[in-house]
Amino acid sequence: MIVLNTNYGPITVELDFENAPKSAENFLNYAREGFYNGTIFHRVINDFMIQGGGFESGLTQKETGETIENEADNGIPNLTGTLAMARTAVPHSATSQFFINVGDNHFLNHSSKTDQGWGYAVFGKVAEGMEVVNKIKQVETGSMGGHQDVPVTEVIIETVDIQEG
Amino acid sequence: MPQKSLFISDLHLQEKRPDLTAALISFLARNRGQADALYILGDLFELWVGDDLNSTLADSVASHLKAFAASGAKVYLMHGNRDFLIGTVFAARCGASLIHEPYLLRTPRGQICLLHGDILCTDDIEYQQFRTLVRSQAWQQEFLSKPLDQRLAFADQARAQSRESTATKSNSIMDVNENAVREFITANAAPIILHGHTHRPAVHQIGPAESDTPSQRIVLGDWDENGWYVEISPDGIMLESFAIETS
Repeated sequence: MIVLNTNYGPITVELDFENAPKSAENFLNYAREGFYNGTIFHRVINDFMIQGGGFESGLTQKETGETIENEADNGIPNLTGTLAMARTAVPHSATSQFFINVGDNHFLNHSSKTDQGWGYAVFGKVAEGMEVVNKIKQVETGSMGGHQDVPVTEVIIETVDIQEG
Repeated sequence: MPQKSLFISDLHLQEKRPDLTAALISFLARNRGQADALYILGDLFELWVGDDLNSTLADSVASHLKAFAASGAKVYLMHGNRDFLIGTVFAARCGASLIHEPYLLRTPRGQICLLHGDILCTDDIEYQQFRTLVRSQAWQQEFLSKPLDQRLAFADQARAQSRESTATKSNSIMDVNENAVREFITANAAPIILHGHTHRPAVHQIGPAESDTPSQRIVLGDWDENGWYVEISPDGIMLESFAIETS
């Protein structure tokens, strides 16, 4: 279990090493090295998803590690409460950014092994703290630095606890 | 009660562009509780072969539009040249009303004539003939009675043909015909025409022809790297765009 201690409260996530080993390992590594400490949820869209893990306070983008393979072909759907890797339009481009689905986003699921159909890899789920996620999804957002859905008041992952075993 | 109406068109939503669907969801979230009407002026989808085709994309779009409608905004759907087979079943799933062009809207700024826009492209005679055929009730009834795989095959073929023919047509043929615009303005007594389809977002001032009333033709853009919308409020009519995020 990994606990994301946000300024809205703790969110405990359970990683799915069985179905998405590379994404889960990737997330754990970033968590272990303290990468997520002080990062923000910079894209919050109610009833869709909350995305974070790539920007620091002030919307400063962090330098990340290598891109990872997209494991969306594990077939796990993007349902409310699941954790998935964010990426660019290129399927295998995820690095540190992730999102928590706050709606059943079937259109993000894997449909084919093409650029168009890869979908977004689900690699875990919220085990506890969904009420925190539900608070975050409703925060007021606005445009900032070329992004549309940035929380007006920052939503920060202050620290991350890793509970092994 | 907000006195704001929003107009969008040509999103061309499709499985291979989840960023566009995400952009729509974001647009709806940003405007929830802020607008009292949303008009979708055609080509919400890249392809529509009947309300009986189940897709996760259609499900997602319908549920978000329905939630938007439930938040107090009226949602209106107009057919485009790609999704003219959207029926009342899907519209109901979206909590939307189907409207047909030309749809006249009374506003404090005068009457506005809403169109998808393809009907104004009268220089493209070949397309207009195709349009007349596929918009006829007889053709649609026959088409919708075919099995889904046949309908999808026809749609693929039609799109391939359209790509081929538009590649050889001049730019001006595929834009609106100015006379057709004037005819719509006169016939509908609407000093403002608002449409999409041409993917050439702009606000055109149209000089007086027979009347002394200047007219406007406002063209929505398609959603690709940017999303486009028109907002009508007591502050005026504005054509706006925003960047579509891909990650």
